[in-house]
Amino acid sequence: MAVDDKSYTTAIDQSQGRCPKCGAPLERGSSFDPQADAAGTIICGACGAPHSVSDVAGGKPQADGGAIQPQMSAGKRNPFALVVVALVAAAMLYFGFHMARRSAPPAITKSGPAPDFTLQSLDGNSMRLSDFRGKAVLLNFWATWCGPCKIEMPWFIELQKQYQAQGLQIVGVAMDDSSKEDIAKFAQEMGVNYPVLIGKEAVGDAYGGVPALPESFFIGRDGKIVDKIIGLKGKSEIEDSIKKALNTEPANSQSATAALQPQK
Amino acid sequence: MILRQHKSTVISLVALLAGSAWAQGGKAPSVSFAPVSVVTAPRAAQTMVDLNFRVASGFHINSNTPKSEFLIPTNLKMDLPTDIILGKIQYPAGKDLVFPFSPDEKLNVYSGDFTIAVAVHPLHAVVPGKYVMHGVLRFQACDNAQCFPPKTLPVSFEVKVVKEPPGPRHNPAQSPHIHN
Repeated sequence: MAVDDKSYTTAIDQSQGRCPKCGAPLERGSSFDPQADAAGTIICGACGAPHSVSDVAGGKPQADGGAIQPQMSAGKRNPFALVVVALVAAAMLYFGFHMARRSAPPAITKSGPAPDFTLQSLDGNSMRLSDFRGKAVLLNFWATWCGPCKIEMPWFIELQKQYQAQGLQIVGVAMDDSSKEDIAKFAQEMGVNYPVLIGKEAVGDAYGGVPALPESFFIGRDGKIVDKIIGLKGKSEIEDSIKKALNTEPANSQSATAALQPQK
Repeated sequence: MILRQHKSTVISLVALLAGSAWAQGGKAPSVSFAPVSVVTAPRAAQTMVDLNFRVASGFHINSNTPKSEFLIPTNLKMDLPTDIILGKIQYPAGKDLVFPFSPDEKLNVYSGDFTIAVAVHPLHAVVPGKYVMHGVLRFQACDNAQCFPPKTLPVSFEVKVVKEPPGPRHNPAQSPHIHN
């Protein structure tokens, strides 16, 4: 049977450094430059037969001094090597998922400083959270497509009126894909009496990703988060959290500034 | 044989580890798509394909025709190969339900299982064979207390285009002459 030189790799008689096919010497140097052949094959200068570099570098001499050997078939591979490779792949998958989870937005903790941000309001002005320093802030993430958010809005309108004199400021952040005009129309229809800002993903990420709406953060006068409510809860629960925020003391100017450092 | 045994062990191990990591990673998808068996569609004819979806228990999504302009409708968008025409997409009627967050207003929603039918119409010039249709279902899900940002769910199904059935045969004209 004819042997295809392309399909097989010939072993090299390393003890003699000769081509097993034609007997011509195979010497390291000008005729053998492993770096020159990325595929790891050297070609005999006399007959043109290919030989593997690994055979030259560390292969054992063949008993027959140059018989053509087929490469080891896949079925003859060590099964344990396959197991090891698969285990490594499984470990990479497992840790990859965990790393991905770790890179998710950090959870916002109660009593931690509220991340500051600058967003555009519906009237086109830029507004910073730190503009409300010294006030208790109810920061409400919502969207026009969110039914439960719509239920809360009349409560917020009432609570804003009720506690404004005591220093409450409700701020809405619309996490919508809708246009500013649509958001403004919705807010107008609802009769919103507090500023509504156009949300950005980065701001949501700073507040733990805001995976579901509505989500409200209650920020004390010192710029620290005192409570958080996810999803629709009762008005009384919201009111209790507002009271918690109002009962905080404003921080001195230095610490308040530190707590409300803008996000980098 | 040994290799086969190891292969199955390794595959199981990888699946187990990956699965456990996935299970720990956040909320499960709220809508799933049931695989569709290959649909045989004759050329030059319209064939209806039913796409079955399931909304996870406790969730609902808006129907294709929600009652408020601000709600996001469920919408299927298909990308089709050339020469295969997509007929009208038929959405089921939603259920009018009252939710705790919307006691005065009924919402038109899908919950549980629902089916969207797609008409597939291969043109006469289409080469018979299998074609894969891809698309996405866009939906926005809520439960009783919160809503989740809009999501898209990949949808695909396979259509086997076959030659159109032969038309009705006409009897050849009879010769008026009788040959003896």
